[in-house]
Amino acid sequence: MSNFAIEAKQLVKKFPARAGTGDKNVTPAPRRKRRFFARKEPKAMFTAVNGVDLQIERGEIFGLLGPNGAGKSTTIRMLCTLLEPTSGTAQVNGFEVVKQANDVRRSLGTVLAGERSIYWKLTGRENLEYFAALYHIPPAVAKKRVEELIERMEIKDRANELVEKYSTGMRQRIAIAKALLARPPILLLDEPTLGLDPQAARRVRELIAELKQEGHTILLTTHYMEEADQLSDRIGIIDTGKVIALDTPEGLKRRIDQQEVIRLELTGWHEEIADKLKSIAGIEHITTHQQGEADLWEVNLHAQNSRTALPRIVEHISGNGTRLVNMNIVKPSLEDVFIHLTGKALRD
Amino acid sequence: MTVQSITLTRSLGRPSFLSGLRALWAVMKREWMIFVRYPSWVISLFIWPIIFPLSYVLTAQALSGRDGSGMAQFQAATGVLDITGYIAIGTTIWMWQNVVLWNVGFSLRNEQLRGTLESNWLSPTWRFAYLLGSSAPQLLSMLMFLTVSAIEFVLFLGVRFDGSLWLTLLTILFAVPSIYGLGFAFASLVITLKEANAFVFLVRGIVMIFCGITFPISILPDWMRPIAAWLPQTYIIHAIRSASLSTDGLSAISGDLKALALFGIFWLTIGYLVFNWMERRARRTGAIGQY
Repeated sequence: MSNFAIEAKQLVKKFPARAGTGDKNVTPAPRRKRRFFARKEPKAMFTAVNGVDLQIERGEIFGLLGPNGAGKSTTIRMLCTLLEPTSGTAQVNGFEVVKQANDVRRSLGTVLAGERSIYWKLTGRENLEYFAALYHIPPAVAKKRVEELIERMEIKDRANELVEKYSTGMRQRIAIAKALLARPPILLLDEPTLGLDPQAARRVRELIAELKQEGHTILLTTHYMEEADQLSDRIGIIDTGKVIALDTPEGLKRRIDQQEVIRLELTGWHEEIADKLKSIAGIEHITTHQQGEADLWEVNLHAQNSRTALPRIVEHISGNGTRLVNMNIVKPSLEDVFIHLTGKALRD
Repeated sequence: MTVQSITLTRSLGRPSFLSGLRALWAVMKREWMIFVRYPSWVISLFIWPIIFPLSYVLTAQALSGRDGSGMAQFQAATGVLDITGYIAIGTTIWMWQNVVLWNVGFSLRNEQLRGTLESNWLSPTWRFAYLLGSSAPQLLSMLMFLTVSAIEFVLFLGVRFDGSLWLTLLTILFAVPSIYGLGFAFASLVITLKEANAFVFLVRGIVMIFCGITFPISILPDWMRPIAAWLPQTYIIHAIRSASLSTDGLSAISGDLKALALFGIFWLTIGYLVFNWMERRARRTGAIGQY
């Protein structure tokens, strides 16, 4: 048995694409002499995953972070056998994802697409009984396991109601229960708290922490930095199909502990100010985020030295209809590490 | 990094031939439960058998004249005395094929749109079981449809089924592999093509014109008749008419049954091969997760 729960070596996935899109990940396909009756070759290929190496220890929670289109979902889909890699190898629980796909599926519990991954015209209990049969759990064991999970997910009172009558949080709990049915050694959780209210999201996070204590290895993708920071033993940051950083959350934060983050809240923000702020020496990255529908913006400036940069920042944002509401100098968070490494915020 | 001393290495799943059958049964049960939870199927079950053939029956009666003099021509061409039964059976078989193309043909696509196809595909169950399992309740509902159709033909259209019930059931049994094999191939293609309405219209148009649902094949132009001979629906319609309307017995349909056995093997094999091709292709292209 492999020492690692998940191990990927130089994993690559390319898809046929339209040439001339301007995307740097789209490259012309290699030209081959075409034989009669041979399959038509695509003119260009889009590289979604470009040589990913991962080694996930048994029993750890591994967070995979990346902006939209970075290659997280493609990587997860290759690991759970929905997609075949173009090249490279991956093993899950010691089984090869292409040649031993069924053994891989038996080793995994996967939450993809959350609430849409279950049947809304079945009850919570019927969903779990159905998926227990698909995972070849013996009927007596399945019956006990379904009841255990209904109890654990706190849906006992409504287990016999159709899923279409459930809240998003309840549906997500059923989707997670489905992944836990066979008590698989490895869990792949793709955005497990997406769209949940804060209370439901907190409950899911507590559950993930409990699952680790029970011996599950967990590969987690999330858009919420605090969640990754709080739950993960290690984090891999993926961008343009490559793992660009891999460390513990503390290790990642140490990479930019020489930097400071100047957090401004202001009204009347416009792009001209961003251009002026970027020109200030020592400012490395700027991210902006509009807070709600009002004209209130949060602007984060990554600076090598806030003391020298501050006077010029204040000078640039004064006037022009812009009003400074609040200003703080904060220690870098995991989100700031992410911005430092990828040049963009996770929600971009 | 903190690594726990307790780690799980094996799941509770215990695959065996029996667990595979249980998974297949679970797919059938799931499909049936979802089917009955949309109550509009009851309307289709009782209304369509009578509505659809009626327009053809009335057209035939209008063309045969008030005194029914034109009927003799039709009877001479078909060898069947009951023109209403002749048309009703032809249109019912057409409806059967049509429903299979829409329901079985779109079963995987509907799962894909709902978002549940991937969660099924993630399990270690034999993947063809999803298609096979979701077709079984459809077959059951279709047998109900055929039964209701027969009762309504007798009650409302005055059709007389003088033939053998057992030979009719035997013919239906021989018809199933061809009709569903085509449905399986169709379901697999729809996953890749995403939109297949045009193909449904094409296939059912071909069946309508070439297989003689309301007229004898003998009136087709010479070039069309060989094409009709290569379509299993031609034999299904002919055999069910003979078995249910005439008293000619097994000898009248034995040729049709032999042809249907061969067509059944052919179409089931095609359905299975196309499904496997689609499944491999989907793993390369990611088509399963694409809406």
